[in-house]
Amino acid sequence: MFKWIRWSGLIGFVVVVGLLAAFLIFAAGPLARMAIESVGSSVAGAKVEVDDVDFTLSPVGFELGRLTVANSDKPMENLLEFESAAATVDLAPLLMGKGIIRDLSINGLQFSTARTESGALASDSGNDQQDAADDATEENSLADQLSGNLPSAEEILARENLYTQAAGEAFKETFDRRQQQLDDALAAVPDQQRLDEYQQQVKAITSGKITSLEDFNQRKQQLQALRDQFKADKKAVNTAKDLIGETRVEVTGRLQDLKDAPAKDIASIKDKYQLNATGAANLSGLLFGDEAGEWATQALFWYEKIKPYLASGSDEAEEEEYLRPDGRYVHFPTDDPWPEFLIRHTAMSASTSAGDLAITGTDLTHQQRVLGRPARIDIDGQGLRTVDALNANITLDHTRSPSRDTMTLDATGWQLDSVNLGLGDTQLERASADMQGMAQVVTNSDGDQLTARLEGQFGNTEFSSTGNTTFAKELTAALQTINSFDIDARANGALQSPSIEFGSNLDSQLSSAFNQRLKAQQDKLEARLQGKLDDKINEFAGPYADQLKALNNDDQKLTDKLAQLEDMGRAELDNYVDQQKQQAKEKAAEKAKDKLKSLF
Amino acid sequence: MLSSLAKLLNALNSEVAPWQIALALCFALPVALTPFWGLHNLLILLVVLLVRCNISAFLFGLAVFSLLAMLIDPVSVRLGESLLSNPGLQDFWTGLYQNDFWRLMGFNHTLTLGGFVIAAMAFAPLFVLLRVLILQYRVKVMAWVNKLKIVQALKASKFYNIYQSLAG
Repeated sequence: MFKWIRWSGLIGFVVVVGLLAAFLIFAAGPLARMAIESVGSSVAGAKVEVDDVDFTLSPVGFELGRLTVANSDKPMENLLEFESAAATVDLAPLLMGKGIIRDLSINGLQFSTARTESGALASDSGNDQQDAADDATEENSLADQLSGNLPSAEEILARENLYTQAAGEAFKETFDRRQQQLDDALAAVPDQQRLDEYQQQVKAITSGKITSLEDFNQRKQQLQALRDQFKADKKAVNTAKDLIGETRVEVTGRLQDLKDAPAKDIASIKDKYQLNATGAANLSGLLFGDEAGEWATQALFWYEKIKPYLASGSDEAEEEEYLRPDGRYVHFPTDDPWPEFLIRHTAMSASTSAGDLAITGTDLTHQQRVLGRPARIDIDGQGLRTVDALNANITLDHTRSPSRDTMTLDATGWQLDSVNLGLGDTQLERASADMQGMAQVVTNSDGDQLTARLEGQFGNTEFSSTGNTTFAKELTAALQTINSFDIDARANGALQSPSIEFGSNLDSQLSSAFNQRLKAQQDKLEARLQGKLDDKINEFAGPYADQLKALNNDDQKLTDKLAQLEDMGRAELDNYVDQQKQQAKEKAAEKAKDKLKSLF
Repeated sequence: MLSSLAKLLNALNSEVAPWQIALALCFALPVALTPFWGLHNLLILLVVLLVRCNISAFLFGLAVFSLLAMLIDPVSVRLGESLLSNPGLQDFWTGLYQNDFWRLMGFNHTLTLGGFVIAAMAFAPLFVLLRVLILQYRVKVMAWVNKLKIVQALKASKFYNIYQSLAG
């Protein structure tokens, strides 16, 4: 019955297949290690090293020792590393050269760990340190731009061309010029001694008995000479008075200009230095700009690393239409599809600065169209040091075109501690935040389009600052009045250059706080400026105050002198006429008496 | 190739049953018309080794049909494509696809399916034809061939030495 069977052939087949299998079993570990290091290095752009890889038969799979993936941007740092990993694989797909990992568990996953030797590939010996230095310079730029741009009152006064200074100098010039004119004019005005002499002279001329006509004429001439002198003196007095009047008007005008100048200076300085809340608008965007930018950079870094290996649906569709001479695989609906590579389920614990995170991944493959399901990564953290609960879900859906990659984030009770705001050495000392975020990247013919939104509610906020700049102090003082705030950040547009908008009631709160702080500070500054400017006024107007007072006194004295001169002139003339009349009367009376006596 | 040809001639001229040679050549056809590295070919090899068919003929047939496959491959691919995309067969293929064994056989590969279907369709007729041809060769051609001058010349060549060494 078994005559047609060649038993030696069967034994030979079994032996050959057995030898091949044994070779593969023993070589699988080293081959896998070589593949991981070679392919991993080309993907990461830096050294990928694994201590050892063992192939296991029951269950069929691999066990990996410590694996490190160097950071291509920072060769002395690992992008990630893990202590050990174990993977069980499906045998049937493996026979077809397909790596279907049923379960992958990774222990001791850590990010950004230090390396003892450079992880740069031989071809990547770039100027990493220079790049790092450039990055540091860029990071400080925002703080540098914003710190210390509010100078002190002294600096402002020293820096600016002040109206007060100009008005003071104009006042001084006017006063000095008028003073010279007044001195000249007052020199022509008779002084009190001369007026007394006039008084005595007038009295000498007008008193006593006029003895003769000659005496009278002589006195009359003397009086006329005095009257002419009075006239000249009166003219000098009037000239001086007019000059005093003009001086008073001009100097008063200049003085008013000087008094008005500080207000103009303060208005000008306020306008120039923007000591108002306008400068504080959208400050929340500045506050979170650097931090958000860093997060976005990290997220994009990982996304860009993964994305090239997520084939888009359109590419596979083209492949399907193309009839190759070597043939192709046609896939049918199934609950158990076999892409070239697939991790059905993976679980890992990652150690971060915030604590341990549980990360699970399902359906991780570069051929999602074959699998028919999107890849999903869930990150869960409970009872972390700084976050009560953290949950992030990432769905990479490349099962159809356009592809959609979505991430949602939900963090509650995030205890922020000493977060550098990058503004004026200001820190968010502590706060409790709840955050909800969503980001989606849609890849179509226009490229990668990002739609992202992040909402956050911050409570129990405390701010502090070690900065000594005025800006830092003002910012801290304004922030200290804020106990809670919300933020709402959005990013839309091309993935590499989205338009980012930050909205927050911190703006309005900060603006209000800034308004109050700035109002108080502005009043203080204005008072200091006013004081300084008053000093300048005193510097200019002070020495002239007595002279201005003396000017007014001079004016009054001149008025008195003028009246006195006029009185003196009028008094002599009246006395003389009366005397002549009296004498004429007396003579007429004596004549009349004599005539009457002769009649009787 | 010379060695294979010599072995084939040895088999043809020996007491090896014609069906053994014909069957070996027929088994070589699917292996040649489908991608070599496949589990289905491993099974065919197992059958070739297990059944007392002529291995020399199998190897010779594999070489010859592989040359033929270069012409047939496009036809095989188109046939496999049409079969796998045939709406009436979708349920059948989908059913097979749920089974790991059939997926390991690579039935859903267009060249594998097309080449295998052509080989399967040709298997029985080819077997009968080859068996008849071998019988006719032994009865009518072998003695006549041995008398040919060219064969006489070959007998003096390296090829004949190989043939002789194999024939023992």
